[in-house]
Amino acid sequence: MAQINPEEFTVTDFAVREHRSLWGDAWGRLISSNTARLGMFIVILFVFSATFSHYFWEYEPKKDLDYSLKLKAPNLVVTEEIPSIHPFGTDKLGRDIFRRVVHGGWNSLRVGIVAVGISLAFGGVIGLLTGFYETVIMTTVERIVLFGITGFLLGMLSAWISNQLIQLLVFTLLGLAAGYFKDFLEGKLSRVGIFGLLGALGSATPALFMGTSVALVCGILGLLSGVLLSMALDGRFFSNVMMRIMDMILSFPGYLLAIAIVAFLGPGLGKGMIAIGVVGIPVYARLTRSAVLSVVHKEYILAAQSVGESHGRIIFRHITPNILSPIIVQTTMGLANAILSAAALGFLGLGAIPPEPEWGAMLGDSYRYLTSGAWWAVLYPGLAIMLSVLGFNLLGDGLRDALDPKLRT
Amino acid sequence: MTRYIIRRIISVIPTLIGVTFVIFMFQRLIPGDPAIAMLGEHATDESIERIREQLGLNRPLFLDRDALAEGDVDGFFDSQYFNYMGRLSRLDLGDSIHRRIPVLETLKLRFPATVELSLLSMIIAVMIGIPVGIISASRRNSLIDSISMVGSLVGVSMPIFWLGLMEIMLFAVILQWLPAGARLSTGFEIEGITHLYLVDSLITGNWAGFKDSLSHIILPAVALATIPMGIIARMTRSSMLDVLQEDYIRTARAKGLGGRLVLYRHALKNAALPVVTIIGLQAGTLLAGAVLTETIFSWPGIGRWVYDAILGRDYPIVQGGTLLIALVFVGVNLIVDILYALLDPRIRYK
Repeated sequence: MAQINPEEFTVTDFAVREHRSLWGDAWGRLISSNTARLGMFIVILFVFSATFSHYFWEYEPKKDLDYSLKLKAPNLVVTEEIPSIHPFGTDKLGRDIFRRVVHGGWNSLRVGIVAVGISLAFGGVIGLLTGFYETVIMTTVERIVLFGITGFLLGMLSAWISNQLIQLLVFTLLGLAAGYFKDFLEGKLSRVGIFGLLGALGSATPALFMGTSVALVCGILGLLSGVLLSMALDGRFFSNVMMRIMDMILSFPGYLLAIAIVAFLGPGLGKGMIAIGVVGIPVYARLTRSAVLSVVHKEYILAAQSVGESHGRIIFRHITPNILSPIIVQTTMGLANAILSAAALGFLGLGAIPPEPEWGAMLGDSYRYLTSGAWWAVLYPGLAIMLSVLGFNLLGDGLRDALDPKLRT
Repeated sequence: MTRYIIRRIISVIPTLIGVTFVIFMFQRLIPGDPAIAMLGEHATDESIERIREQLGLNRPLFLDRDALAEGDVDGFFDSQYFNYMGRLSRLDLGDSIHRRIPVLETLKLRFPATVELSLLSMIIAVMIGIPVGIISASRRNSLIDSISMVGSLVGVSMPIFWLGLMEIMLFAVILQWLPAGARLSTGFEIEGITHLYLVDSLITGNWAGFKDSLSHIILPAVALATIPMGIIARMTRSSMLDVLQEDYIRTARAKGLGGRLVLYRHALKNAALPVVTIIGLQAGTLLAGAVLTETIFSWPGIGRWVYDAILGRDYPIVQGGTLLIALVFVGVNLIVDILYALLDPRIRYK
């Protein structure tokens, strides 16, 4: 008779599946895509080589100069004529192009990260606020703050004209009052009249000290501001104003705006970062806003509201995590774009200041020697730009597929 | 529909005012004094002062509060900004500081060059991008799909100034098939009707001129077309894939319609909307001046001209050029929006 030993049986529980988080799931999808893996490989390669060379491979661009090696073609073995190995050849000052390309990666990646950081920080906040308050009704405190700020901004013009700081106070107070007494005579013409009159008097009285015509102009401004403040300004108004400003930035072609900003700030890598970052703000603002609008009607937001969570908490705890995926994708692709724009600025001589190695500037430096046959001085920096941009784009594409399976095509 | 168009046109007005304001600010904020740029470094203070007065640079930027305090309301508005707006409304863009030629005249000469280049690029991009997108979508996940999608991503990632240089190296320096720059070889002349050389030479039957201008435009046009081509191909593919999942496509297939007929008659029509939008936006970007391409190929267009003017502190050119560029950009976007509403009735009623 066979004996049954219960310990011989191993029990497999089919019902309990290995726990996988949303991000773990996405990672699995990302890693299973060939193109995404290729992109990741390129990105890691560039990040690694740039960081490594920056910290461990010393390079002093100001001292790198050797006219005896001017514009030599790539060589992989040492000859008598060229005592050192230059896999990518040398440029017009006899500098090793390989070394400069590797070091240039540090600058290009830095520009990309800082520029995207600027765009994301400003654009993201603008998008979150506009998207949220466009649909969610403001609390009393928030409304008062909005009215106060609007009043302050409106007051700046009259304060400047009359050269009296007190005007700022008058207009801010008027705004705060309009926000606080929102229900007072709401929708009635007398409300418009009262606030208009208050604004006109409050602004014209102190301005009288400066002369009658100043008082007249300030009075008119006060009247208009009062009328505006008497209306029910809400999140939609705020959102509209912000989005029109974004449209305005967008109505300039990117490169030209960046060139103009750099012309205003002066050339240099840091200024280039700011210029590219500013140009990118509206893109992120619009993206974030539309992402917020797509989740703000969801039941979990309503639930959070009905249990009385504060607006700040709803924005950061419930909305932000749920709109991350489009933003992550856009950020990755934005890095690619920023690197490309930085290279373009560098090429035009508006980015990195020579002799600092930067891919675009290297191209701008050497393209005049193309006709004399020095193809290597142009080929390799350009390849570096293209490959790194391609890497970020491939990765971004893969991330989009991984993070949003619905969009998977 | 008319109401939608009117509403859309009105909504452009604040943008335009903002644009003129930003251009004005940039022009004043860029370091350097136009009067010194005009007279050179060694000018006397007196003559600089005189020029500044002539150009109205001695007036305050926006409003003159001192004049107002003295009761002078006219003087209050006599500022650089209001004078600038006044000149703009009379279409007076001023003279170039360095060349002393009216900006408007140079603009009329240079703008067609940009238009010709960007139109040809867009034609190339559309002619290649859309078929590639359709083929990729219809053979999803095949080898051809992977190759064309990676290819289009390479196109999107292309630094066009580098591509232009490589083209010059290959076709102009090594093979010597095509010229490396300018719009025409010396000695050729094309009668100006539309100022688009390709069109003009065809109208006048000037074959040699047509061939010459084509040989000049082809390299920059291809370089400029790369990015839009990639974007259009990707957009066409994803839009087609969306549509191909719809029920009516399955119905059409179930009725026994051939694959090609379904693809072109049922799917493409419905997938066209986002593609049209993206084409419009890209056309706007290209028309707005391809600074880099124009620089490399010494193409006498708007982008290069404005860039040079920014560096040379030629303020009237910066102002006129950027204004035109922004106007074109805003105008093209407006047209795209209206087209969109024409194609998709749902938009109008929002």
